[in-house]
Amino acid sequence: MRPITESTVDPAAARLSAALAPEARGIRRAGWLTLGASLLWLVMAAAVAVVLGSLASGQSGVGEIAVATAAFLAAGLLRAGLSLKAADLLDDAADRVLARERAALVATQDRLSPRARRGASSEIAALLTDKLPLLAPYIRRFRPAALRVAVVPPILLACALPISWSVALILLVAGPLIPLFMALVGMAAREASERQMDEIGSLSALLAERLAALGDIRLLDARGRMLTAFEASSESLRARTMAVLRVAFMSSAILELFAALGVAMVAVFVGFSLLGEIGFGSWATPLTLGQGVFMLMIAPEFFQPLRDLAAAWHDKAAALAVARDLKAIEEEGAEEILGQGEAVAPRPDVPEIALRRAGLGTVTFPDLSIRPGEAVALTGPSGSGKSTLIALIGGLLVPDRGKVLLDGAPLDRATADTWRMQVAWIPQAAQFPAGTLREILASGASAPVGTGDMLSALALARATDFVERLSDGLDTHLGETGGGVSGGEARRLMIARAALSGRPVLLADEPTADLDAETGAEIVAALRAMNAAGTTVIVATHDMALAAAMDRRIALDAALGAVA
Amino acid sequence: MMPLFRILRLIWQEERAALWRGLLLSVAVLVAGAMLLGLSGWFITASGAAGLAGIGIAFDVFRPSAGVRMLALGRTAARYGERLLTHDATLRALARLRVRLLDSLARQDADALSRLRSPTMLNRVISDVDALDGVVIRLVFPLLAAGVTLALAGALLAWLVTPGIAALTVGVLSAGGAATMLLLGRASIGPAAEAEAGRQSLREVSIEHLRGRTMLTFDGALGRSRAAVLTIDEGARAAARRLARLDARAGALVSATGIVAAATALLAGGLLALGGTISPAVAAIAVFATLALTEALAPLQRAVAEVGRMRDAAARVAPMLDRPPAECPVASANPPSADAPLLRLRGVGVAAPDGDRPILPHVDLDSHAGETVGITGRSGCGKSSLLSVVAGLAKPLCGQIELSGIPLAAYAEHDLRRRLGFLPQRSQLMSGTIRFNLTLAAPAATEAEMDAILDMLDLGSALADRGGLDMLLGESGSGLSGGEARRLALARVLLRRPDILLLDEPTEGLDDATARKILPAIRAAIPGALIILATHKPAEIAACDKLLSL
Repeated sequence: MRPITESTVDPAAARLSAALAPEARGIRRAGWLTLGASLLWLVMAAAVAVVLGSLASGQSGVGEIAVATAAFLAAGLLRAGLSLKAADLLDDAADRVLARERAALVATQDRLSPRARRGASSEIAALLTDKLPLLAPYIRRFRPAALRVAVVPPILLACALPISWSVALILLVAGPLIPLFMALVGMAAREASERQMDEIGSLSALLAERLAALGDIRLLDARGRMLTAFEASSESLRARTMAVLRVAFMSSAILELFAALGVAMVAVFVGFSLLGEIGFGSWATPLTLGQGVFMLMIAPEFFQPLRDLAAAWHDKAAALAVARDLKAIEEEGAEEILGQGEAVAPRPDVPEIALRRAGLGTVTFPDLSIRPGEAVALTGPSGSGKSTLIALIGGLLVPDRGKVLLDGAPLDRATADTWRMQVAWIPQAAQFPAGTLREILASGASAPVGTGDMLSALALARATDFVERLSDGLDTHLGETGGGVSGGEARRLMIARAALSGRPVLLADEPTADLDAETGAEIVAALRAMNAAGTTVIVATHDMALAAAMDRRIALDAALGAVA
Repeated sequence: MMPLFRILRLIWQEERAALWRGLLLSVAVLVAGAMLLGLSGWFITASGAAGLAGIGIAFDVFRPSAGVRMLALGRTAARYGERLLTHDATLRALARLRVRLLDSLARQDADALSRLRSPTMLNRVISDVDALDGVVIRLVFPLLAAGVTLALAGALLAWLVTPGIAALTVGVLSAGGAATMLLLGRASIGPAAEAEAGRQSLREVSIEHLRGRTMLTFDGALGRSRAAVLTIDEGARAAARRLARLDARAGALVSATGIVAAATALLAGGLLALGGTISPAVAAIAVFATLALTEALAPLQRAVAEVGRMRDAAARVAPMLDRPPAECPVASANPPSADAPLLRLRGVGVAAPDGDRPILPHVDLDSHAGETVGITGRSGCGKSSLLSVVAGLAKPLCGQIELSGIPLAAYAEHDLRRRLGFLPQRSQLMSGTIRFNLTLAAPAATEAEMDAILDMLDLGSALADRGGLDMLLGESGSGLSGGEARRLALARVLLRRPDILLLDEPTEGLDDATARKILPAIRAAIPGALIILATHKPAEIAACDKLLSL
């Protein structure tokens, strides 16, 4: 009893099924419950038929009416209860699917190596927070509706057939015509609804863009012109959206028309039969009033699953779009970092770092050894693999060939975390966790650090001056990307943080890039001071002043480095 | 509820006529639905009774059957018309709401505007505005249409059946509908706000987690940070789950209400027919019409799920629609003086971006038309802050700034912007053509002027094979390289021909060869203007007539 619209070849549909698979039982149970709820209508229809039929024939009594009403009420309330139970089951299933997909997405994305094609963090976050929840309406509405469409109309048809073949014929003709029209118009509607989503999405995107540009708009004294242009854009968006909606509304109008005409034809046919004006359509015995009322009651219910499915059509399109996004991200690359990035006990000793015939892609690195306490600059033109080498040493990347050795033992999955606990890392673009300066400085350290330690680390990093200028000193709150401090200041804070971490090795990627000479010199001095205090310093740089200040340069040039 | 009413009023006022017609049609749809089923029930029962009594031939079959067909067709047509009308009106109103929001926010001060650039803030605003899209179609219409339909149906049933049965069934339906909205709608307010807050903080922490993943890996804190993300997710899901429960309960309550109402009609109608007060066919009207009226309550389920979120969003959006009081510059008695220096700073001190302690005390400067003044100093010393004070975007902590002898604060915004151009470190371009971006800045500029400026900035040939002025830029100017975007932003401000041009590191991010051409090009474009630039490039410093070292 597969939903009729499921396609097995579409990879997005396969991904969607995979997401739902662990909850298949709950979803199926809920489906059966909603089926039961739909079929209880037969009891309710019969109760109404009994009351009206017996009243007209004059054979009715108070008891009979009361019993029929009670049956109607009981079946109806049970129906509402079953639907409620089904909704709760489906909501639970949807919640677990969401929890599982979110956890999986975060856990794969945060361990991707720098070489894997990583989507922008904001895009992954949008998938995580806004798009994944779109699976819920699909689970809650589309799945049970698809099941009901497959089961309920045939059963109602089977109930109508023994009573009146012509009513069954009316339903049979009007019913399957709907899926036929839906298939035709539905394809248009699906495309239309996707386009409509894009259009409405683009109005929001346009608003977001204009809001972000308001500062510029003020400087250009362009408020009035911007508003006129925005009005014109949104007007043309409206016109296009309405063109799309007309198609969508037309398709649902056709559906409603067939449903309404189906009911009307059943009513008229039954009425004429009861009057004796139509002598065909029923079997040997003529149609009774009760049977006629029963027919009238089940006619709308016959069309209801189709209407539900049509209303949920968009939910499926949205869920498939999410599945497509998930699939695309999963196919982009799954190369992971070594180790888990978890806090473990650090190695007991500082190892000698060595590369032996290591290479990645088209780049082959020179063999090298870096002893504890050295200050080394990795230099070379852009593209020679400086940053890659830093990432290899940090266990963020795995060489395609050759080895990274720590005291002669390969850096691998098992040793990466213990090794990284010895390494302080300074990225090219400074990143801070949100928090006060004090929290940020302390966050890299394994033991609690006092204000005194912080001040001496800041002094070592040549950062005392500007920290004093901050409005709240160490308690200043720094924003997402270090708001309130310049690029050079942020790097010095990172160096202070590295010094406080007490880790014996420092890896820094282009620590002086984009800085003026004076600020660059301060960074160099800070790095020298770290090295003087015993830290092994390894920097990737193309800044000759920085390279000259290190003990040793390892050049990644054409002769030793990049091999075409 | 007040902010929600305010938004609603705004939308309603804009599209009053269309919305009234839409409301009328949605009532027509519901009433026609009830009449269709009621008439069908009456027709079948009456013809059954007539058939039994053997008077079938005398029974008028044509008018009822024509009525049934007409109602079926009319209902479909009304539904189609109602949807078109209300969606069109809603889309128009939504565009207006967004225009109004842009207009009001555009009048905010520079600080507020720069806060709007943060993706966090943008996401929140957009999410709130989007949540208000359904306020008419999914909240107000269902409520009004249900109310009016029930009242009409009550009157019809009282006339056709009996007032007692009408009162009973419509009473049950109204009470159920009201209970759904009042109890469950109210209960959804808290979870809706929590779910939205949870969703936004999930977005923020997951972005922070993913951006910081390498840092966290070295800190050994990846797992801990991931767990923190998942804790936020749990909270967000729990709130969403509570909303879903309310939604399901609203659905159950609505359908139970319909069942009870129909059962009431069945019992009361049956008993009255048994007693001979009404005919069985009239009792059938009551039963079938009541069954169809349940449809009027169905949209309340969705309204319950959304009312909390809309209220939450309206509470934040409505205040943003307030226009700040129009600034009222102190009209200067003296016209701009030709003798006074074009720009004079006396003892100007500025604050650090996030603090109020002066980082730059007492800058003095006199400069004249045609001069190029360089501001130098190490990073973080306040170059950008000084420029934004001179541009009138922030107030100086102390000191005086005069333009042509008139205090900066005395200029009306429009006059100040006409005379003074500013290229900050970060600019935002807009989606649309290059021409659109340029005309937005300088509506009077001719194509020849635009081409000339682009050529001077070495941008003309680069854009030529991508459509030149007709090249279409994506969101926020995507499609241009960083250096091209920078130069287009510069072209924008140059086309305005300001008397004073402030530039904050104008060639940052450009390659050296291009960067060297920029300053002479700027000077050639506005030969008589005072140019003030913050820079640390030796070549640019050398080109300045005057230096201000901070």
